[in-house]
Amino acid sequence: MALDLHKIAGQIANMASGLGERRAEREAHLSLALDTLSSAEADAIEMKRLQSRTTFLVARLRGSLAGTHPCPALPNDYAALAVDGSHIDVDRHLAAQCYLINLGTVRIRYGEQPAAHLGSEPRLYTNDEDMHLRDPASGRTQALEGSLLGALRAVEELRALAALAEQADDDTPTLALIDGSLILWGLGGQAYPDFVRNALIDDMFLPALDRLREMARSRRLALAAYVSLPRSTDVVNALRLDGRRCPYAAANCDLHCGALATGRRPCDSIAGVTDRDLFERRLGAGERSDVFATTSSIVESSYAEHSVHFFYLNAGAEIARVEIPAWVADSPELLSLAHAGIVDQCGKGHGYPVAISEAHEQAVVTAGDREQFRAIVEAALGANRLPVYTSLKDRSKRVKWL
Amino acid sequence: MVVEDTPRVGEVVESGSTAFVAQSYRLYGAPPLGVLVRTGGPCPAYAVVHDVATRGIDPSRRPLPRGKSEAAEQDVYDNNPQLEHLLRTEFRSVIVGHVDDGETRYRLPPSPPPIYAFVYACPAAEVAAFTSSADSLRLLAGSGVAAAEEVVSAFLRHAMAAHGDPTAYLAGAGRQLAVLFPRDFRTVESILLRAAQ
Repeated sequence: MALDLHKIAGQIANMASGLGERRAEREAHLSLALDTLSSAEADAIEMKRLQSRTTFLVARLRGSLAGTHPCPALPNDYAALAVDGSHIDVDRHLAAQCYLINLGTVRIRYGEQPAAHLGSEPRLYTNDEDMHLRDPASGRTQALEGSLLGALRAVEELRALAALAEQADDDTPTLALIDGSLILWGLGGQAYPDFVRNALIDDMFLPALDRLREMARSRRLALAAYVSLPRSTDVVNALRLDGRRCPYAAANCDLHCGALATGRRPCDSIAGVTDRDLFERRLGAGERSDVFATTSSIVESSYAEHSVHFFYLNAGAEIARVEIPAWVADSPELLSLAHAGIVDQCGKGHGYPVAISEAHEQAVVTAGDREQFRAIVEAALGANRLPVYTSLKDRSKRVKWL
Repeated sequence: MVVEDTPRVGEVVESGSTAFVAQSYRLYGAPPLGVLVRTGGPCPAYAVVHDVATRGIDPSRRPLPRGKSEAAEQDVYDNNPQLEHLLRTEFRSVIVGHVDDGETRYRLPPSPPPIYAFVYACPAAEVAAFTSSADSLRLLAGSGVAAAEEVVSAFLRHAMAAHGDPTAYLAGAGRQLAVLFPRDFRTVESILLRAAQ
């Protein structure tokens, strides 16, 4: 049976009604957050952050937090590189254990000699060493599937981007883009043992970042990750530490406010506001915010000199979060290239960076592709006289019967 | 008469006994309407281009206007170089003959051109040789393609340009058409008038 929409319609109406009631409260919080932003002292907040223990992620401030920066000029000749990926996860209902990563790559050159290259590189992973990460010390293994496969894909995207940048070895100012965050959120916390982080970050992700940084030393190459519709609150959380929102000299959320119910803490006067809400009111078309740094534990513990910085950008149709490594944030030239390049890319892409959009189109694996992939795997197994079995659960899903 | 070393314009991407679709190598690089083309393959087919279309490669992606702030139409392409890879030009051609053991036959080939068969725009000498026969218009005139009169007259214009005496060629073509459309003087007249314009 299909979803009973009649039964869910009433629940949807209740949800909409609840959202409407909370709107006025959210507007008041946003207004207070904007007031706090315009008069906050960045250095004081940063000093307090260093002395505080918060239960939320607070942006590291770099001298100011309320600045707005107009879109700088973009070189007439520049190149945009982008990589995006999609994957077919391990399917235990399939007769063969394997996964597929499809990377879409795009290189577009603008200016005197316009040119473009679009491509995709699908790769099937089937070997035992592909299917598991292994700790060389203890012999422990971790299956590469689900969210960990998603992290591997993000790593492979960056590696492919570095390779793409190496292929286009010329003096043209180059903006290298990836879709989503530079922060491998899924590998943070206690979700995975250290050897998993070592294998994916130390052995694969950081070397790709190193290659990009090395290229950036001899040519204008800016790496940036574009986060559409960001829900992050790093900057708003910094405002929570402002003396008017948090009365303590050094915040200790658990100690001071741990006993208070949600919404009753002093800093909850700006709760529910995202950084996007904040900068939507402050940034004009093409303008960016100040640059902040993430204090994400995975970045602070593993990213070494590539610590992730970010700014918010009015890209025309939306407020985006643009993440850049420290070496881009600290270079006015590369920062300008990232800023102006993304604004231009969004203008050309109807509100979204066209290079990323095309990389996505190259990478996308449709539901039809998945079915065909499955059929080809089964046909190949059959042709080699290997048993083609599938779970009864899967068969019952695929074969409708009465 | 097959002329060797003729520039290739595209490849067959959809094939049948009476017609094929080819994709042009260059965006907007299809031969014009009415041009005589020849395919590669084991039974090289002669065909006349009767429909040229350019559209997105992915049928689910419809082109959106891009040129509001551009000064010229070409700027849209120059400032979006990826478009060359996302659009494609295809041309449909109706088969009007084939090459059999070096001889031109004015009938359908025994098997259609294979997918990926190269497509060549016939040079003037080959067009002149092909259209020298009184049978050269038979398959085209009876093909039933859309806007058939336009296609036939365009074909005649190209053929006239290939012949040393265009007027004599058109007179001969008129006689062929009178046989092919015995009770339809107006159609014959309309085709010839448009061919002569």
